[in-house]
Amino acid sequence: MADLEIRDLHVRTEDREILRGVDLDINRGEIHALMGPNGSGKSTLANTLLGHPSYEVTEGSITFKGESIVDAEPHERAKAGLFLAFQYPVSIPGVSVANFLRMAINAKREEPIGVKEFRTQLQHAIELLDVDKSFTSRHLNDGFSGGEKKRAEILQMAMLAPDVAILDETDSGLDIDALRTVAEGVQRLHDEQGLGALIITHYQRILHYVQPQFVHILMDGRIVLEGGVELVERLEREGYDRIRQEFGASV
Amino acid sequence: MSEVAVKPGRHREATLYHALAGAGAGDGRTLAQLREVALAHYYTSELPVWRRSGFWTTTLQALDLDTLEDQSESTEPGAPAPGAPALTEVPDVVTRTLPDRPRAGRLVQSGGTVVHVDLDPLLKERGVILCSLQDAFREHPDLVAPWYSKRLTIDRHKLEAANAAFWTGGAFLHVPDGVVVEDPFEIVYAIDGPGVAQYGRTLVLGGEASEFRLTEYDLAEDFEGQALHAGAFEMYLSDGARCRLSQLQDWGSGEVFDVSTRFVGVGRDAYCHWLPALLGGHLVRQHLELAISEPGGDMAFRGLFFTEEHEHLDVFAVDLHETGPSGGDVHWRGAASGDSRASFEGLIQIDPGAQQTHTYLQIHSMMLSPKARVDAIPSVLVSADDVSASHGGTVGELDEAAIFYMQTRGLDRPAAVRVIVEGFFEPLIAELKDEPLEALVREKVADKLAAAREDIEAYATSR
Repeated sequence: MADLEIRDLHVRTEDREILRGVDLDINRGEIHALMGPNGSGKSTLANTLLGHPSYEVTEGSITFKGESIVDAEPHERAKAGLFLAFQYPVSIPGVSVANFLRMAINAKREEPIGVKEFRTQLQHAIELLDVDKSFTSRHLNDGFSGGEKKRAEILQMAMLAPDVAILDETDSGLDIDALRTVAEGVQRLHDEQGLGALIITHYQRILHYVQPQFVHILMDGRIVLEGGVELVERLEREGYDRIRQEFGASV
Repeated sequence: MSEVAVKPGRHREATLYHALAGAGAGDGRTLAQLREVALAHYYTSELPVWRRSGFWTTTLQALDLDTLEDQSESTEPGAPAPGAPALTEVPDVVTRTLPDRPRAGRLVQSGGTVVHVDLDPLLKERGVILCSLQDAFREHPDLVAPWYSKRLTIDRHKLEAANAAFWTGGAFLHVPDGVVVEDPFEIVYAIDGPGVAQYGRTLVLGGEASEFRLTEYDLAEDFEGQALHAGAFEMYLSDGARCRLSQLQDWGSGEVFDVSTRFVGVGRDAYCHWLPALLGGHLVRQHLELAISEPGGDMAFRGLFFTEEHEHLDVFAVDLHETGPSGGDVHWRGAASGDSRASFEGLIQIDPGAQQTHTYLQIHSMMLSPKARVDAIPSVLVSADDVSASHGGTVGELDEAAIFYMQTRGLDRPAAVRVIVEGFFEPLIAELKDEPLEALVREKVADKLAAAREDIEAYATSR
């Protein structure tokens, strides 16, 4: 059984069915790419996996480490080892990045993390993400540029060390330097910590910096095509329209 | 005093939302004369009602003033009741609440009596005075008389008159010219049981180029029954004086009514940073007025409030510029839970001749329960042409997107809400620049959030 197992997942929001039977298996140490055109249901899947209250699972199952999490609260899923890097991270005024990280880490632990241990971890993550040290004393995402917000997402991911992370269009709106930093961060967390990742993206470019072992194409709420990294190349050559034509009958 | 044309009836409410903006009752009269005039007003006036049509009404209907005053009047002002233990003890709520930290001095009034005064002897040597206002009238009449009630009126409503007529104890702080004091002075008004009518009266004089901090604590034990605090506070900062004035008010869970007026006058090139933290009281009405009276004066007028359960709060904050050039910056934040009501009216008033005044008023509020209500009305009254005055603000509910974001990091919903509300207040709390006091305010906010937990859960599921 896979660490994260999604079976025949149907999800509705505001009376519209967005996901119409998704199957997906993700294990620790695996990097998956989920690609698809706008409106295919990528963000719905990401939000549903973490339990966003606006999305209702109408059919199917989500199991994480052998247990159903469909009815679990978002924070329980996070504590179990899931993480979501947001497409549009929310700003939390009045709370510094460092303080927020400490709270999040302590939420997962019995005993609060020691000052020294926290500082060591934070220092490591800062180097990994190539951010300025003053970054961690700024209020979380408050007044951050697009690139800074995405770096802050990866910084949190590095500190919280999840088993499986979902990255929801983390690459959108990033310049090439920020994109490279973010992608390399993911790759290193995979290499060092055995992170499993589901990289959700519309474009191919992030996949030049982080190598997925599995690629899934989502269209109209279903995964229509699966394969290895060669699928990315095919998409690059042919675009979504060709694939849509090919699977038009079934979607 | 500038007269405002007032017709009886429907115009009455407007007069109540005017700045004091003018001379007070002092005007060369003696304390005895002022008490007599105030007493006459007390007998002829009714308990006040403040009303903003369509928004709020603050009424003291539920206040049983006769019973309270019968109990308070059964003794000589300031003296213990016959047979009762002498009121010389600092109430437990004071020792429990005030941070243990270095201070310049402390005065504690419990009920109608000053029960404790201490002052750093080195400061005493340098001419600093901290004593009861009664003692100050006796021992420093020439210093006190010209300033007493200089800008405070005594006849706008029954409780203002009652304060001027009946006050006992009181607090007087004088920081002489050029004296700079690092640690804060503390003035405490405490109510340790029901049945008390406390008429608090504070006079603070900051000499030329003096610098000091003052924190007022308004505290009560949690008790069953009614009590009243009708306060009058006045502070005058002479040329070049700088003061950081803060106030921590938490009247506990008893039925404490607080109707107070506070005036701060800022002299030439003087500066005041004023931050009241209004954190609890059954019914609280505060008229807070910060006036720039001489050119070059500057101020930062901050404030935060948090109402819960059935509390009712009515704040009228005035940013008054009597002359220019002057600066002002008003920034308030408030939250409400339970079925509490909080009303804030912020007035920027720029008098004729106060040219080159630049001021800004913002009020942000947050509702934490479906039954809580916060109203905020900014208003601007400008009678000069070379000025800038503007206002802004937000009224918000909890940001569900932010809560979900934090939940995905492992924080449960109450923890996420706490982060949001603490973050909401943090910009102001950090401005206290006084760690022990900051910690106390944070703790009070956290306590209120913990108490409102069910409320907040209910709010989430109701949407």
